[in-house]
Amino acid sequence: MEWIEIFDISLLRSLLRSTAPIAIVGLAAALCSAAGVLNIGLEGKMLNAAFAGVAASYYTESVWAGLAAGVTAGLLTALLFGLLSFTLGADEVLAGLAINIFSLAGTTYLMRTIWGQAGFFSDPRIVGFEPIHFTFLEGSFLEPFLSDFTYSVYLMFFLAVGLHIVYYRTRLGTAIRATGENPEAAEDAGINTVRIKWLVTIFSGALAGISGLFLSLENLTMFTEGMSAGKGYIGLVASSFGNNTPLGTFGASAFFGLGDAIGIRLQGVYELDSRLILMIPYALTVVVLILIGIRQRLKVRPVPIPES
Amino acid sequence: MDKFSFKDVLVTVAGLFITVFIAWVLITATGNNPSEVAKYLYEGGFKGTRNIANSLYQATPLILTAVATLVSFRVGMFNIGINGSMYVGALYAGWAGYRFTGLGHFSHVTLCIAIGMFVGAAWMLLPALLRVYAGVSEIISTIILNFVAVLFVSYMANGPFRADPIAPATPRILETAELKQIFPNSQFNTGFFIAVFVAILAHFVLNKTTFGYELRSGGDGLVGMYPSRFSSYLGIPSDRSAITGMLISGALGGLAGAIEVLGAVRYFFQELEFNQGFDGILIGILGKLEPIGAIIASLFYGAIKNGGFYVDYKTDVAREIIIVLISILIFFVSAQKIVKGLEKYPIVKKLDSIFSRKKM
Repeated sequence: MEWIEIFDISLLRSLLRSTAPIAIVGLAAALCSAAGVLNIGLEGKMLNAAFAGVAASYYTESVWAGLAAGVTAGLLTALLFGLLSFTLGADEVLAGLAINIFSLAGTTYLMRTIWGQAGFFSDPRIVGFEPIHFTFLEGSFLEPFLSDFTYSVYLMFFLAVGLHIVYYRTRLGTAIRATGENPEAAEDAGINTVRIKWLVTIFSGALAGISGLFLSLENLTMFTEGMSAGKGYIGLVASSFGNNTPLGTFGASAFFGLGDAIGIRLQGVYELDSRLILMIPYALTVVVLILIGIRQRLKVRPVPIPES
Repeated sequence: MDKFSFKDVLVTVAGLFITVFIAWVLITATGNNPSEVAKYLYEGGFKGTRNIANSLYQATPLILTAVATLVSFRVGMFNIGINGSMYVGALYAGWAGYRFTGLGHFSHVTLCIAIGMFVGAAWMLLPALLRVYAGVSEIISTIILNFVAVLFVSYMANGPFRADPIAPATPRILETAELKQIFPNSQFNTGFFIAVFVAILAHFVLNKTTFGYELRSGGDGLVGMYPSRFSSYLGIPSDRSAITGMLISGALGGLAGAIEVLGAVRYFFQELEFNQGFDGILIGILGKLEPIGAIIASLFYGAIKNGGFYVDYKTDVAREIIIVLISILIFFVSAQKIVKGLEKYPIVKKLDSIFSRKKM
């Protein structure tokens, strides 16, 4: 097999599947960053939601209970983040970090203590989301592009476009961007910036929750320790690469998804060390960070600092 | 950063009480007996020479990663990548431990440690340069490098550095590279004294020297913010101190990893797992970003961590409970407004002034 042959429809499908979790949490990150909230804690929200989703699905055998539990977990974690950062005056970065460490240890603790499982928890009673099959597309040339994806892929497109409209076509979007760009001016214009920050924090908590929940209830239906594996952070990088705009973030996420999809395919073609394949998303993130750096260097010249 | 004050101690102690209460609820809710857990936690942490030695062994890397954290925070950089430095430092210290033969004990250990520290510092070079010269958040880049580090060392132990055809591990380090273990049945080793020495050295350098002042001026009082313009008005290049601080921080992470390999495990293998880099962040904050505070907090954390292993072994309660509780404690400690809110009570203010006068 020639390397060029890996670029086919199934690569595109794999790309969209890999993009979805990063794009959804990336959009959450973009929303926060646009309002000037540095939300490191998204990673923890994803993890808590992934755990809560599996737990609820396991006990009720209903995927919708899993969805509700996952979103609730994301919201509660967001509430904790907001409470610490906005109400109690904790540093946003410290609050986010503490939440991530708390969530990683907390979910591992619960998994090991309740189910006595180390590493991962999997059970036939855990119900996951099934792919959506569009009967009206059957036989159409669009079928391989559009049909039989799981919810996250459709949701990702919907969110990217929806948030784009909110950003640029509504007063709320203007208020969010104003809060991030110039909080003092926004306050003068009568915008309650704290309320805006709370709003984006809560909403991004729900989004991060959904993103995390799809990790554990879509293709895999299981929970593994630390299964978010840095996707919350990669989402932050995607949002930064996309200038914190919804469509830019979506594009940047697709770039990560492409790297992921190519890695998975290459593994089938060549005998590559699995650790090197697993490294692709992170290596790609480092590359993107360097690109962001180059872009910022070209855009603004740093103020020269006088030497002593 | 403020010195320790009465209200900080008050909040920490109050937070500790609430945390213990939450622990009690959490342990009961998951069907276990809290007083039994408390007993094993105490026994595992403090009872007998072996447990105390093991608690000190657990504290060893924590002291270093906590100091690594506070050095970076105090120059105004958030280095979250100390765990990554620890991994690469451990890998290359282990490599130097078997690769160089015919050296004396002292020179071999010194060489291994120097290589571990150098690699740990080098690991932080890219994030530091990206932050200072291109404004890319060092928080994200260092976090991502943690993931890269884990996979990189795992690849190296499996591939280029692998010695054993069955297990993915490097060769055992030579006897000349070993840090001596002092007590039987314990991995406690002379690395502990290195860690304490480094922390005390950091205390003097940061607080008593011009070099330390220059380092700090970039970030002090501004924890959580980016290097201030203030230092550049004083003619101190804050860019340079930010990079220096970041490299020192990485070197200390590398040292923590080197001590683990040279003193405790004696070779590097694929499953070797570190999380002290993350614990160090929590401890650094608990110790109020002071090296002496870091030593005290590490000894405390090391003891309950070792106690946590014993609890894990004796009961159904998983050892992660310790990290859960410490992070809850951090929630309280980091909530600045609780600390500030206490100021309006005259009694706190008075005690505060007595407390700080005593320190002088």
